[in-house]
Amino acid sequence: MLAGRIATADPELAEAVGLRVDSIDDLPRLEARSEPPRTLAVLGASRRAVGLVEAIAARTSWRVLPASPETHDPREMTELALRAEVSALLLGASEPPGPDERSALDDMTALVAAVARRRPELQIVLAGPIASRSAWIDGIGESSDAMAARIHEAPPLKLRSGPDEPLRDLLERLLPRTNETRTSAVRTVVTLADVLGRRIELVEIGLDGGLRALATPGVADQGPVAVAVRSARAGLIDLDPEQGTVDSVLAWTTGSLDRHRMGDRLRDLRANPWADASGDGARLRLAAARAALSRLVALTPELSAMPAPDLTIAAGGIFTLAPGQAVALAIADVIRRAGATQLAIDHARLLGPLGTIEDPDERRPFLADLADDLLAPLGTVIVIGGIPQVRRRGASVGTISLDGDGPAVAHELMAGDLAFLDLQPGDRALATLVFRDVVRIGRRTRRVSVPVSGGTAGVLVDLRDVPLRLPDRRDRRRAALAAWGELVWPGEST
Amino acid sequence: MSRQVETIAVAPGIGLVPRREVVAGPIDAWFPLAPGDRAFVSVGQAVVRGAPLAERLREPRTVVVAGPGARDPDRPGDRWTPPGTTAGAAQAGDRAEVPAGELLFRAGGRWRIAAADSSEPLDAPFPGIVREVRDGIGIKLQSPAKGILGTEVLAGPTSGRLHIVTGPDGELRASQVDVGASGAILVAGARIDAEALTRARAVGVRGVIVAALGIKERHDFLASERRGRAGVHGLPPFGILVLDGASRRPIASPVMALLEALEGRVVAIVGEPPCLVVDDPDLELPQPRPDLVRVRSGPLAGAEGTWLGLAGPRRFPAGVTLEAGLVRFGERAPIAVPLGDLERFA
Repeated sequence: MLAGRIATADPELAEAVGLRVDSIDDLPRLEARSEPPRTLAVLGASRRAVGLVEAIAARTSWRVLPASPETHDPREMTELALRAEVSALLLGASEPPGPDERSALDDMTALVAAVARRRPELQIVLAGPIASRSAWIDGIGESSDAMAARIHEAPPLKLRSGPDEPLRDLLERLLPRTNETRTSAVRTVVTLADVLGRRIELVEIGLDGGLRALATPGVADQGPVAVAVRSARAGLIDLDPEQGTVDSVLAWTTGSLDRHRMGDRLRDLRANPWADASGDGARLRLAAARAALSRLVALTPELSAMPAPDLTIAAGGIFTLAPGQAVALAIADVIRRAGATQLAIDHARLLGPLGTIEDPDERRPFLADLADDLLAPLGTVIVIGGIPQVRRRGASVGTISLDGDGPAVAHELMAGDLAFLDLQPGDRALATLVFRDVVRIGRRTRRVSVPVSGGTAGVLVDLRDVPLRLPDRRDRRRAALAAWGELVWPGEST
Repeated sequence: MSRQVETIAVAPGIGLVPRREVVAGPIDAWFPLAPGDRAFVSVGQAVVRGAPLAERLREPRTVVVAGPGARDPDRPGDRWTPPGTTAGAAQAGDRAEVPAGELLFRAGGRWRIAAADSSEPLDAPFPGIVREVRDGIGIKLQSPAKGILGTEVLAGPTSGRLHIVTGPDGELRASQVDVGASGAILVAGARIDAEALTRARAVGVRGVIVAALGIKERHDFLASERRGRAGVHGLPPFGILVLDGASRRPIASPVMALLEALEGRVVAIVGEPPCLVVDDPDLELPQPRPDLVRVRSGPLAGAEGTWLGLAGPRRFPAGVTLEAGLVRFGERAPIAVPLGDLERFA
C-alpha cells in the first residue's frame, strides 16, 4: 500500500529508487524488532539485599521476579527459579554479608546451586562473594566444570548506591545478540547527535519495555557518547495489569472508570496494542504512556539530573498515533526539566533499523541524508521552574514573544498555566521570555531568549511546578488533568 | 460457512487487516509442575485421555530433614522417602511423621524437601505422546489434535463433553446452571459472572468457554479456586477458556461455528497454549468467509461485517488520523473503521 502511494504521489522518485509495488521484497532492508523481555529471578538472603539487586536489574531489559526468605519459603523460591520462563538467576550478596543476610545466605547459595544443577540451560549470576562459599562448592559438587561457562561472577552489592554498570552490562550481555530495537536505536541516536551537533534525549515506550538515552556529540578527539537505560519495567502495560499498572494509569485519567473496568481496558489494550487508538482509547493510551514514562523516569535519576537536551525524541507506537499537542503535554507532564527542548517523534520508527548498521562511519552518511525526514517535529517545550510562590494561582508572571518568519506573537504568561503558541512545522523563531521575578530556565534569570522550532504542537510554555505536583484529592486531580487535557484534545472535552 | 465461500471475490486491502488464528495444530501442550510434584510418565510414552500424568501436591510446604532417606538420595530433584519406608512406595498423604517429598537442596548437612500431606492427580486431558518430562518444571504432551485458540486459560487442564448453553452474545446466569451439566464444558457466551462460575464448579461442570472475563470475575474465581484447593477434599478439574479478552463482547461467529460443529464431542481445555483441544485431526471444521471482518475493540467491539476495501487515512474522534477500511455492517451504509480495530479470520 505504501509503495503504491509513493508511486502515485511521486512517480519520478519511485522510478529513481526502483520502487514498484510488485518488487517490494527485492529492496534492501534493515530490520530491527523489539523482543519480549526474558525473565530473571532475583534472589537474596534478605529483603534489603534483594531490593539492592532488584533496583539494578530493573534498569535492564530483563523482567525481574524478586524473592527473599522474608517473602518466599525455600520451596516457593525453588519453584520460582525452576519456572520454564525463567532464563537466568541472579543471587546477590554484600561483602561482607550484612547482619540480615548471614543467617540465610548459605541456604540461598545452596538453593541456587541446586537449581543450577537441575536446569543446565539456566544462566547464573553471582553478585558478591558466593562462589567461594562452601555451600556453593558442596552444592554444585562434581558438576562445577560443566557449569563454569554459565556461572557469571559480578561485583558485590553496595550498601549505598554506587555505579551499577558492571552488573547491568553483565545482565545485558546474557541476552541473545539480536537486532533488538532498543539497543540499535541508541546507536542511531549517538550518531544523530554527532551529525546534528546537538544533545539528544530519546524516550521510547514499547509494549514490553522502555528506553531512555541521552546522547552528546563528540568534542575534539572524544567521540559522541550516550548514557542509556533500557528497562522492561517501563513497558506500557504489565503482563498482569492489575498488579502494577492499573493504579498508576488511573492516576493520569479524568474519566470515571473504576479499578476493575480500568483493568479490563488495560488487559484488552495489552492484548491488542494497536487497537482502540481513537476517542476514549486515545486518551487511555496516553494515560498509560504517562504511567510508563513515570516508571522510566523514576528508574533514571541520573538522566533527569542532566540539563535539558536540545532535542527530545519520543518513540514507540503509543506516541505515533496521538495528536501532537497531546503527546507534547504527556512528555511535559512527566519529564520535568526546567529549560527548552525541541520535541520530535520517530514517526516512521526508523531509529531502530538504522542502528543495525554496525559501522558508525557507514551509519553517519545515512543519517546525514535522512536527518530532515527522519523525525516528525512536534515543536518546542519550554518548562519554567522556580516561579516564586507569591506569583502562583493564575497571576501574571511574565510574557513570551516569538519573532520569526511570520508575524510576531506575544503572550501573557500566568503562573501554573500551560500555553500553546502556534508555530508551524519547519518554522523557526526566537522566543524571548521576560519575567517579573527570577525563574529557572536552564539557569536563573528574568529574561532569556531561546531559539524555538515549530511543529504540530507549536510551542508549549509550561509554567506548572517542577516537579509537577498534582492534588492529592482525586476529584481535584482529575479536574486539573481535565483542564489541561481540554487544551490538547481537539473538539472534545476530556 | 461452507467450502464454496472460498470463491467469493474479496475487495483488495484485506491483507492489511490483522489475521486472527483460530485453529492450530498439532498441539504441544505444556503442563507445569512445581517442586514436589511427581511425574508418572516418561519421554516417548503414549498416554490415553484420563491417564495419570503426574501427582500434584496440595498445600505444599518446605520440610527440613536430616537425610538421607530410604534410598540415600543425594541429588536435588530426587524423590525422598522417610527412613523405614519402601523406596518409592510412600505417597504424599501417607500418615508418616514427615511425608515423602522432593529434595530441594542441602544446607548445613540437612536437606530441604518439598512435601505435602495430600496430593491430587494430574490426568491427561487428551491422548498424546509425552515429549518432555522435567521434574519440578513440567511435562510436554504432543498430539496431532486441533486446538481452537483463546487468549487465556484460568485453572485447568480439564476435559468434558462440549455443551452450548447460550448464544454468542448471551450471558450465563447461575440459575441456568444445574446438575444436568455435570461433566460438561459449557459455552457461556459473551460473559459470565462469578456466581455462575461458582455454581458451575459446585455442580461438577468441567469447564467454561466464554468470550470475555472481566478482572473482577477473574479475581473472584481465582480466590474461590484457592479456597477450594485448600479444602479437605480438593476440587475436581475445571478450567475457563477466555476467547477474546476482558471487556464484554460476543463470541466471534467463526469461533461459534466451530463450537457448534463440536457440540456433543469430548474436548479438552489446556493452558499452554490456551486452547480447546479437539482430539480428531481429520475433523472437517467450518471455514470462515474470506471477506468477514470483526471489530475487536472500540465502541463497535464485537460487530461483524463485510470488508469493502481500504478507505485511506481518516480522522477519528480525539483528532486521531488512522488508516481505515470500509466495512458494511448488515444492511447499513458502509462506514470507515480503523484497520487496527479490525480482525479477519480467513
